[in-house]
Amino acid sequence: MTNGTVRDRSVGSGLFRTGVQQQATGSARVNATSITIRRSRVQRYSATLRRQLASYLFIAPALLFVAIFLLYPIVFTSYLSLFRWDGLHTPQFVGFANYMQLLTDPAFRTSFQNSLLWVVGTLLFPVGIGLTLAVVLSRLRLERGLKLLFYLPYALSPTSTAVLWGFLLDQQGALNVVLRALGLEALTRSWLISPPWHTALMIAAYTWLTAGTNMVLFLVGLRTIPPETVEAARLDGATPWQEFWRIVFPQLRPITLVVVTIALANSFMVFDLIWVLTQGGPFRSSETLAVMMYRESFVLFRLGYGAAIATLLSVIVLLLSTLYIRSMLRKEQY
Amino acid sequence: MRFLSRFFLPIGVGLLGLTWLAPFAIALLMTLKSQREALTRPFWTFPSTIALFENLRFAWEIGKLQFGFRNSLLYATAGAAAAIIIASAAAFALAILRPRASFLIFMVIFSGTLFPFQMHIIPLFRMYQDFGLYDTRWGLLLFYMTISIPFCTFVLRNYFTTIPREIGEAARLDGLSDFGVYLRIYLPLSLAPITTLFVFEFTWIWNDLLFGITLAKSPEVRPIMAGLASLRGVHSASNPPGILAGALLASAPTILVFLGLQRYFIRGLVLSTRG
Repeated sequence: MTNGTVRDRSVGSGLFRTGVQQQATGSARVNATSITIRRSRVQRYSATLRRQLASYLFIAPALLFVAIFLLYPIVFTSYLSLFRWDGLHTPQFVGFANYMQLLTDPAFRTSFQNSLLWVVGTLLFPVGIGLTLAVVLSRLRLERGLKLLFYLPYALSPTSTAVLWGFLLDQQGALNVVLRALGLEALTRSWLISPPWHTALMIAAYTWLTAGTNMVLFLVGLRTIPPETVEAARLDGATPWQEFWRIVFPQLRPITLVVVTIALANSFMVFDLIWVLTQGGPFRSSETLAVMMYRESFVLFRLGYGAAIATLLSVIVLLLSTLYIRSMLRKEQY
Repeated sequence: MRFLSRFFLPIGVGLLGLTWLAPFAIALLMTLKSQREALTRPFWTFPSTIALFENLRFAWEIGKLQFGFRNSLLYATAGAAAAIIIASAAAFALAILRPRASFLIFMVIFSGTLFPFQMHIIPLFRMYQDFGLYDTRWGLLLFYMTISIPFCTFVLRNYFTTIPREIGEAARLDGLSDFGVYLRIYLPLSLAPITTLFVFEFTWIWNDLLFGITLAKSPEVRPIMAGLASLRGVHSASNPPGILAGALLASAPTILVFLGLQRYFIRGLVLSTRG
């Protein structure tokens, strides 16, 4: 570290000291960032060990709570999916029978179809409208004012949204009243008990709730696009349509991927809205996978079966998330 | 083409804006009406008498939202705060102290957020019953705190790595312990993400329904959204203004927080997309 005759005038106590080396020639060198460890090796090691153990104390509460309340249940649910259990008697091991049963269960077929409807609907409407709003609002420079309006539903809960829309869609609710006023009496119906309208309208409610958040994310993405690219295209005579598809949209790809993946994953997990509006009814016709899981577990007390549905749901959502995580990792390589 | 966009776009946006506004407006108008008036006159008419307080009182007392409100206030405030405390300590160790297996531990904690909630509810339901936590305020509080921990850890860990290490190291040289560095250096410097996280988690916990109905059954313990859901279940046909007043009541805190702290809301949203 240093040469020949050096007198040490270190200051500070504890494990670390700031070293001040005074050369034999008399000039002092102070290296504020060089740290001289003056203890013996054994003491150094045990102090470090003590510090390591102490740092685990910082982590312990978080790890403990998450392990008990979140991680253990995940393991338990997957394991439970191999059993048949009503919550009272001892569980019976049935292997993959639950999963096999799903394949032939008409309720599952309906749930799966509805979930697909939700996925497609979510891509078209909350994401599509969110993107459109973001592009249009930023073009018209109206972001500040209108952003709040579209985004405000996010502060509402899915439950409040369900209460609101339930009221609008009621037999005597606003929608039917308007239809009647327009002379379209024939179109009125009990929306929430008519398949497939109930699912379609619940997707509309969901759009009202979530399009704003997608819009905000897209606005953030739009802000990162260098305006020169757009101006250059405009100077070359591109139409607004071309401008969007050829210049803007490709540069939005990272944020689009984020929004789409999150929206897709969420669309599988929608529960509150559906449960409050229809409980998956009538006769389970508006159930999705998430709702079916709840009904099988806590209404019909077929917990093993419910666990199988939950596990399947997790596999689907995890697959979607890996797509997203992989793209994020790829992004970090840039 | 440009001609079209100059006219159609603003009109289109205007229409969409009206569509977005309509449910709010209709519902707010309805909460002002009396029960009888709501059921007998069309929804667009203005109320002849303002019955807002009656409706709110209906939701509060008969709808039992008074319990849910009080409970959710506890769960959301204490749950988010406790989560941030626990998560920030863990984040500090994982980002700065970095003992062995830090990254692995972090991934383990983070994996809590990757699974749908349906994976948690059955075992939690049973565990809560076996350990006497079912239908208790402690039980719900512990859960809401725990579910908020992974995301807070993720955000704070990232944020802590952006704080220059020299600040902490200089403090250490002055004799401050690790805990002191955490408490007096890193926490005060992190007020912005902490506020964002608090807003985000408060809103999430306040808006929850699934765990509220699964882990508790009595109105005295259940959070407000569960109360709102049963209020609707019972009274939707007979008292629309009452249940809409309930929805207003249930949404007031998050809307107020949102309007006052929009910036943090949106920041929280953007943060949540990073993981």
